[in-house]
Amino acid sequence: MSLTKTTAGKTIDIVKNLPRITLANLRPNPGAKKDEKHRGRGMHGGNKSGRGHKGERQRGNRPRLGFEGGQTPFYLIVPKYGYNANHSRRPQYPPLSLRRLQYLIDLGRVDPMQPIDLTQLVNCRGVAIQPLKRDYGIQLIDEGADIFSAKVNLEVQVASEKAIAAVERNGGVITTSYYDPRSLQILIKPVPFLMSGDPIPKRLLPGEDLLPYYTDASNRGYLADPDKVQAARLGLAKKYGYTIPDITREIFFEMLVQRKDPRQIFFGLSPGWVVNMADKKILKPTDDKVLQYYGNMKSL
Amino acid sequence: MAATLTRGLSGLLRPLSVLGRDCLRLTQTPRFSTLCQRHGSKPLPAVHTAAPLQQTGLLKLVTPLIPSLMLQPVRNLTYYSLRKGKRKSVKSVVQRFLRLHCGLWVRRKAGYKKKLWKKSAARKKRLREHVFCNKTQCKLLDKMTTSYWKRRNWYLNDPYQKYQDRVNLKV
Repeated sequence: MSLTKTTAGKTIDIVKNLPRITLANLRPNPGAKKDEKHRGRGMHGGNKSGRGHKGERQRGNRPRLGFEGGQTPFYLIVPKYGYNANHSRRPQYPPLSLRRLQYLIDLGRVDPMQPIDLTQLVNCRGVAIQPLKRDYGIQLIDEGADIFSAKVNLEVQVASEKAIAAVERNGGVITTSYYDPRSLQILIKPVPFLMSGDPIPKRLLPGEDLLPYYTDASNRGYLADPDKVQAARLGLAKKYGYTIPDITREIFFEMLVQRKDPRQIFFGLSPGWVVNMADKKILKPTDDKVLQYYGNMKSL
Repeated sequence: MAATLTRGLSGLLRPLSVLGRDCLRLTQTPRFSTLCQRHGSKPLPAVHTAAPLQQTGLLKLVTPLIPSLMLQPVRNLTYYSLRKGKRKSVKSVVQRFLRLHCGLWVRRKAGYKKKLWKKSAARKKRLREHVFCNKTQCKLLDKMTTSYWKRRNWYLNDPYQKYQDRVNLKV
């Protein structure tokens, strides 16, 4: 069949025989463009052009926003109160619901066979973190705790009790850990940092405000005593009425138990190492003082 | 150090010229130039001791006038800033009000800590409450703040977290 016998061929022939498209041939759809109102161009030299009659309004001399003619304005008569005091120093934690996490796992965007970290969640675009807006990580909230059914090794920054219970009920492990802003920026965008050629910094420990949170076993803090964490797991199971599945007999037990060192940002990379992305090499420090500074951590 | 002192004081001395203290200005200006020259070469201790004696005398005369006449608050809203061309928030609004993400603004009642001895208990209780602003006030406050103050915040242990969204609102 030659091209001209098909419908597409016939339309191409028609279009070929049409005159060339120029500005003279083009016109917007009827109703697409509405004529602009030209103020002040009416009969007898135009009217008031929508400015009103005399006074400050017509003459364009109205006072500033909020001015009330000299009376102390509303926004000044109200007394000051520290609603927004130190707002730029308050840590923020965008929420991650268990429902969303289940959705991501079901769609295959995040792999439950590997430890789920903030890096993994940002890679799959599951969460949006803005470290420059004082985001210190994510918080796990209990929306979707009833439908959550995935066995994961989860690391978040803040978690609610019901969410911890939901994760542990399914045989998972949850840890809350602290990342200072610089480490957080590196964690969420590892590639630009590794391309820069700086040595991986050591993660700072939490400040005095957040230290009690991360040393508490009931929050599964990364600085808490492991025995107390185990006791807290049992206590939580009693509270919510489920039995903790024995994960020591799991195939993926080693993966589930894998945890980062308090000074480590990435799994498998120690602070102080320099990653050469171009040559695919890792350079490790050998000087004693440097090793002492970075904590003498062997390959973790 | 003396040069920065004189630079700060030159701003204060300018209105003094209106009062007719030209003699003082004339005596000051040669000292400014000598100070600048000295500061450029090396700081000499003699220069530092000579200048402050004159300046502390001036400061004593000028200080009662400073707060009331010189520093008037600026209440305008900046639509386009000089350096970045951006809109600016009015600081007084940020210090007094809280914006909830649902669009409501929360404030304190005026006089909640004043003359409480003469107020009845019921009146004091009413004044202690945090109240909402009405629609026109909310619109005004929205115009006086930038979009940064309208963003959703996820603070830890925020007492106002549950009020950020409306619940059971019937139109």
